Amino acid sequence: MDPAEELPSMLWGLDPIFSAFARLHVTDILHMRESCQVPDIYFYKSHPIHKVDVLGTVVYKREREDFFCYGVDDGTGVINCLCWKNDPMKEELDSDGGKPSDDLQHSFNLAVEVKKLKQAQQTHFRLEIGELLRVRGQVKTSRQQREMMASTYYKVNDPVMAVQIEWMSDVLQLYREFYDKPLHLQNISASESPITSLSKATQIIKDFLEQKAVSKFRPYDIQDILQPLFPSCPEVAPAGQEPVAGSSTCQQLHVLLKEALQLLQDEGVVYRKVKSQDEVYFVTAQDKDLLMAVKDIIREDSKREKYQEKGCHILHILSSVRQRHSMNVSKAVLELVLKSLECNSDIISTRDNYFTYFII
Amino acid sequence: MLPAVAVYYFPWEVNSGALQDGESVRTFGSKTNFAHFSRLTQYEPEKSRASLTTQHASKEHHVVINTSFVEPFNPIIGAQYIVLGEIETAQGVDGVRVCARVLNCVDGVNIALLQKVINEQRSFFRERRPDLWSLLQRSRACL
Repeated sequence: MDPAEELPSMLWGLDPIFSAFARLHVTDILHMRESCQVPDIYFYKSHPIHKVDVLGTVVYKREREDFFCYGVDDGTGVINCLCWKNDPMKEELDSDGGKPSDDLQHSFNLAVEVKKLKQAQQTHFRLEIGELLRVRGQVKTSRQQREMMASTYYKVNDPVMAVQIEWMSDVLQLYREFYDKPLHLQNISASESPITSLSKATQIIKDFLEQKAVSKFRPYDIQDILQPLFPSCPEVAPAGQEPVAGSSTCQQLHVLLKEALQLLQDEGVVYRKVKSQDEVYFVTAQDKDLLMAVKDIIREDSKREKYQEKGCHILHILSSVRQRHSMNVSKAVLELVLKSLECNSDIISTRDNYFTYFII
Repeated sequence: MLPAVAVYYFPWEVNSGALQDGESVRTFGSKTNFAHFSRLTQYEPEKSRASLTTQHASKEHHVVINTSFVEPFNPIIGAQYIVLGEIETAQGVDGVRVCARVLNCVDGVNIALLQKVINEQRSFFRERRPDLWSLLQRSRACL
């Protein structure tokens, strides 16, 4: 994987493998690419990894005062594991002199039992070459060598290799089902219901119209801005050229665009002044003519005796606008216009659905 | 220094042409390590020499083991053992000899299951990592 494609560290937590101890083959642990964002984080394919879980034969051993170094071989590679001794292990078993005396042998002696327990613990942490070790911990690189800092480690008793066989087949299954599958965070949004993709499309169009202060447009003008919703859709065929038959994503795009425009019309955000072959959509908020027409109607009619007191009802305004401006203005469009006029203090609502013009 | 990785080999692959061939043995010589398993049939402590035998495809396969690094051990004639060590050529031995680093008694192991999982692992690496696989293939080609 190209380092540029590395998942941003903010998103690492979204990968469940990141917070688990990954059961990788030792060869993969040794060859994982290190992250360029954070040290001691590695990438197996697209998955960020920092903790691993390994089972293998001890083929190398070195003991220090505070820790053991075990070389662990799982049949695919050998990795050095730094295993810290816990406190009871550092206490040498020098107090061997305290053997139970004969008269105490049959009674329960706590000190002896504790010592037995410690001995049993020790045998689990002190391994010899050829014994099986299970170790979990963080992957580190020190002196150009990749190694593991064990957080847990213990000797595994496996006299008939049942544990090793099971481990090998489990690991292969984990690789096939999880580690080798790429992490697709975009898939999460793509798999959402079509309703949300429709609402997303409407939002995109709304944002676009607002940002660019578009006053009118034709559907193919805004087709491209919905393109990101269809990652696999090829470039839209140039004008005058029919889209290639069978490109279902492009068809989906057209359907989505149509649905989104219908939704925007229902909401009154856009409207078609003239219903003709040429699909021109007017943006309500940017249509100065419509705004002026509505304002004029209210100003003129408010002077009339009939409306002087209560103001003009919305349906009266609607029918006037339809006569004067366009038959296709819907109530939703008018409501938006009235709302914006009222926000600018051009008109005043006397009560619900009644509007008047304030004459100074 | 960590020893090199011990890759699983089947006993019948050890004495197959690839590892027997003078050149490749020299190339891999002490570097080619492997782990394999079979039944202990003979042990001569005075020569530090043991022999592991296994049957495969109606043929008996012997692998000679140099046990000088793992002595003393408790030889149980007829028990299954797993050996991890380096290939070495020695005089007086027909084929190659394995200098054991680890010789564990695993009597009772489910050999069929072990073979199955080793084959699965091999095919997994063959699909993904042709580089690692090429090493294994040298021995398999002669089967």
